[in-house]
Amino acid sequence: MAFRPAAMTGARGPAAVARVLPDAAKLHRLSALATLFLLVIGFALASPAFFSVNNGLTILLQTSVIGLLGIGMTMVIITGGIDLSVGSVLALSGVASGMAIKAGVPVAPGMAFGVLVGAACGAVNGLIVTKMRIPPFVATLGMMLMARGLALQLTGAAPISQLGEAFGRLGNGALFRIVEMRPNGFPKVVFPGIPYPAIVLLVVAIAAAYILRRRQIGRHIYATGSNEEAARLSGVRVDRAKLYAYAMSGALAGLAGIVLMSRLVTAQPSEGVMYELDAIAAAVIGGASLSGGVGTVPGTMIGAFIIGILRNGLNMAGVSAFIQQIVIGAVVIAAVWIDHIRNRP
Amino acid sequence: MARPPLVELIDIEKHFGGVRAVDRVSLDLWPGEVVGVLGHNGAGKSCLMRILSGAMMPSAGEIRVNGTSTVFDSPNDARDAGIETIYQTLALADHLDAAANLFLGRELKTRFGNLDDARMLAEARTVLARLNPNFKNLRDPVSSLSGGQRQVIAIARAIYFDTKILIMDEPTAALGPSETAMVADLIRQLRDEGIGIFLVSHDMHDVFELCDRVVVMNKGRLVGAHAIHEVSKDDVLSLIVKGELPADWSARNLAEAAQ
Repeated sequence: MAFRPAAMTGARGPAAVARVLPDAAKLHRLSALATLFLLVIGFALASPAFFSVNNGLTILLQTSVIGLLGIGMTMVIITGGIDLSVGSVLALSGVASGMAIKAGVPVAPGMAFGVLVGAACGAVNGLIVTKMRIPPFVATLGMMLMARGLALQLTGAAPISQLGEAFGRLGNGALFRIVEMRPNGFPKVVFPGIPYPAIVLLVVAIAAAYILRRRQIGRHIYATGSNEEAARLSGVRVDRAKLYAYAMSGALAGLAGIVLMSRLVTAQPSEGVMYELDAIAAAVIGGASLSGGVGTVPGTMIGAFIIGILRNGLNMAGVSAFIQQIVIGAVVIAAVWIDHIRNRP
Repeated sequence: MARPPLVELIDIEKHFGGVRAVDRVSLDLWPGEVVGVLGHNGAGKSCLMRILSGAMMPSAGEIRVNGTSTVFDSPNDARDAGIETIYQTLALADHLDAAANLFLGRELKTRFGNLDDARMLAEARTVLARLNPNFKNLRDPVSSLSGGQRQVIAIARAIYFDTKILIMDEPTAALGPSETAMVADLIRQLRDEGIGIFLVSHDMHDVFELCDRVVVMNKGRLVGAHAIHEVSKDDVLSLIVKGELPADWSARNLAEAAQ
């Protein structure tokens, strides 16, 4: 019993700890929200340009990519796995889509093809994890190298540019954008509109939350991560749940790749390096547990905004890119550490 | 007899590499019968029960349910045949609540295919209240419940559905005296309803209290199958330890009748 000091003191029996547990999850979410507000206030004080509509939209754009990756990552993390390949799959999907469009495919099917490539990568991850019984860390690490290598090989490491205006609309356009022409001939933006990437993120987040909370497959994803053997004995097809989660993660990485490349109007095979860490950090900050069974889409959204605002605010405050790496790295470790503390009996 | 047994295991074998975990075991179970399955740890009883519950495929042999030969590829196949199992580990997903666990793998759905949490909660409340009237905190994750409450969920999950055969693996190991008595009452009640029960247990007292028949496994083989009134606790212990009856054994009920 030496390794369970909490049980020795007797002050907090297992039942007492347990009664606090559901509240603890909420508490975690609240503390994440509080962190988010503190960050906003802090950066607003540090730099007046931070707290403006335009910068808000920039944050929304930047966060949409982390958010999309984070939602897929959350599904995988709930099953008790991890997906290290999303950054590379993002690049491969963007490149695949760019090449398809260069080859004459119309923009919309070309983009859909990119998402499909992402889903296929995710499905391969899922099959390697479930059929070959390779640990998710290793399986997706392999996919991370393979997808990146393929993206670089296909393009000769050169970006694919001149993809046309239509390709850039998803990443740069906005809904309800109001522009009026001034008498001097220059346009004036009355309302910058809601960027399409933010709308994509919102739709995906609602859909993912619905799948996880209201559909059987979502329930099975939680059950698989909570206790895989119990889920299997209860008749849950755990392999199917895992495959679904990895395929979703891959597809959302593909979608994030399309959004990102569309914003750049260029398919960049070297985009998205280390994005998996942002996605993992978003999920874990949002309350997902790396030991599985725990995690929510709203939580991950908060986590994604914390990461997005942190990056943006540090930029606005003129902090160097190297220092930013140090800060984000520390935040990731802190988030995982908090996860560990939460799971201690 | 016109009706076949509920379930018949015929020459079941299970090998792991060169090890024979289960070695040509045949066993049957009739409606309204409680059969105690005894043996050392590693004697193969858990293995045999896992084969019957569809969690493990036998290397050889046949399973007949109501006289029809069947193959269980997954726990769902066995459940569809009316075979429910209460595992010693309880097999609960700790992060989900009582209702979600009760219906895990067999979720109730609305017309649109969404999870019908309201109906699952209501059903869970009914069935759990029958087993334990004090069970109120149904929305808490089961990791926060007491051992007795967790056991009640595992039992409720096995009897809620249309169960014909119930496998109970050490159902009282984690329970206090009053809860143990509750499980014993439940076993009698289910037996009276015509359900056949395999009771895997180490507790000799429970076995003699509840079972109509005992079967003993030793090193993967079935070394004894007796009506409970034929044998004494010492006889059963001898079967468990040595794999054979005492040398001077005669059926207990016959010996008592002769005196």
